[in-house]
Amino acid sequence: MNLMLQIWAGYARMTRRWPGISAIIPFIPVLALWTAVSESGLFPRAFFPGPGDVTRAFFTLTYKGILPDYLQDSLIRLATGAAVGMALGIPLGILIGTSRWAHRICWPVLLFLQAIGDIAWLPILLIWFGFGLTTMTFVIVYTVLFPVVLNTVLGVESVPRDLARAALSLGASRARVLWEVTLPGALPNIITGLRNGLGYGWRALIAVEMIVGTSGIGFMMFDARRAGSTVEIILGMIILGLLWYIVDAWILAPIERATGQRWGLVTS
Amino acid sequence: MKTLSLRNLGKTYFDPYAGAHVTAVHDVSLDVEPGEFISVVGPSGCGKTTILNMIAGFIPYSKGDILLDGKPVHGPGPERGVVFQSFALFPWKTVLDNVGFGPKMRGVPKAERDRIAREYLALAGLSHAAHRYPNELSGGMQQRVGVVRALANNPDVLLMDEPFASVDAQTRMTLQEELTRIWQERKPTVIFITHDVPEAVFLANRVVVLSKGRVLDEIAVDLPRPRVWDDLVKDDRFKQLSARVLQMVRAA
Repeated sequence: MNLMLQIWAGYARMTRRWPGISAIIPFIPVLALWTAVSESGLFPRAFFPGPGDVTRAFFTLTYKGILPDYLQDSLIRLATGAAVGMALGIPLGILIGTSRWAHRICWPVLLFLQAIGDIAWLPILLIWFGFGLTTMTFVIVYTVLFPVVLNTVLGVESVPRDLARAALSLGASRARVLWEVTLPGALPNIITGLRNGLGYGWRALIAVEMIVGTSGIGFMMFDARRAGSTVEIILGMIILGLLWYIVDAWILAPIERATGQRWGLVTS
Repeated sequence: MKTLSLRNLGKTYFDPYAGAHVTAVHDVSLDVEPGEFISVVGPSGCGKTTILNMIAGFIPYSKGDILLDGKPVHGPGPERGVVFQSFALFPWKTVLDNVGFGPKMRGVPKAERDRIAREYLALAGLSHAAHRYPNELSGGMQQRVGVVRALANNPDVLLMDEPFASVDAQTRMTLQEELTRIWQERKPTVIFITHDVPEAVFLANRVVVLSKGRVLDEIAVDLPRPRVWDDLVKDDRFKQLSARVLQMVRAA
């Protein structure tokens, strides 16, 4: 009993000093189960590889330079798509959020287009733009756009009316109100939208790379299927999860917290 | 500083739920002299907040005129400062930057507007909180910031819309005393909206009683200053005036 308490206390101290560790712990049983099943010989190795095989594939592919190249291609595509999606989505969201007319005109169209999922655009995009970067970028931008627009609208509408009134009666012009009140007031929601958008965009990217790609993590996984290389497929899946965890937990979530909590706009 | 006049001011709007036109303010005329402190009291629905919103320029008026130094006012402007019941501080700005916001809009350079903001924060005893964010302050402190933010912009008229309604009773009394002190030091023209009769009498030179969108009566408050609650609760004149105003408000 005493030993258990000591272990628990040690764990608490350790996770406080390195918070990242608490994220790794839950994966230990998953890893153990995976090892046990693959070692048991229940399935053929080529069909169900173990953690060791996947780790070896990771080092081989990294050494050959394939993995870093593909990873870079995927990330650049995602970053480009996200940047364009934000550049379009934030102004559009502010317009819809501030103008009743823009809201009336754009909102039904937005909901209509949102229902046509990213992948549903692929057939027509392939005819229009062929198998290339334009098609991929279009899909990512399309995926990132909606969460950003919808959350920006939500953010703009959630800024208390008195704040804009206060700014106006302190001498701010309409343009200054937009810059000094509307935009910072909507920022926590905009970041939430971006966080969702990047999450959807990341998944859409992998799907598109499988169909359109000549490089990228999605392409690597689909190409491995042709060669029957389960190791590379599983490696790809793990990279998807890990990379998203890093982007979300280490970059996006802290930004979201920093804006929302400091200002008391988000309570958690 | 300039005279503010309301001439036969009226507000009618269409209520889509009632399906009819509703008149919130019928016919209000009022002259406010520079440096005067006016309280406007009345039961809820008497149109007092509507009047304030029209003077502030937040909503258009349907008839009559609002004149500042003889010139009609339309839309919000820095010559009419507003203190809100909801405080309306910018949550992403420090206290210093909140107070310096008005000067910033006028194009005052950073160093100078910080100096102005610090001067006004000192006036409200808030110098220590300059670099904190509004949500780190108590309600009473937030509204002190709200008051000095409006004052720091040097408005011709200070419009206060039930500013102390959402703070606790003890803090409210302190804030009322501080407001009379600051008013005595700076002599801004103030229109103070409230439904709290003792508050109205305590603060003002003149109490305007509203009822159903009309001015019912005006009562001059000739109590000496500085006013502090410890003295006034025992003061017969204060009790008389409060009782008279209360009677009118209840009958309204």
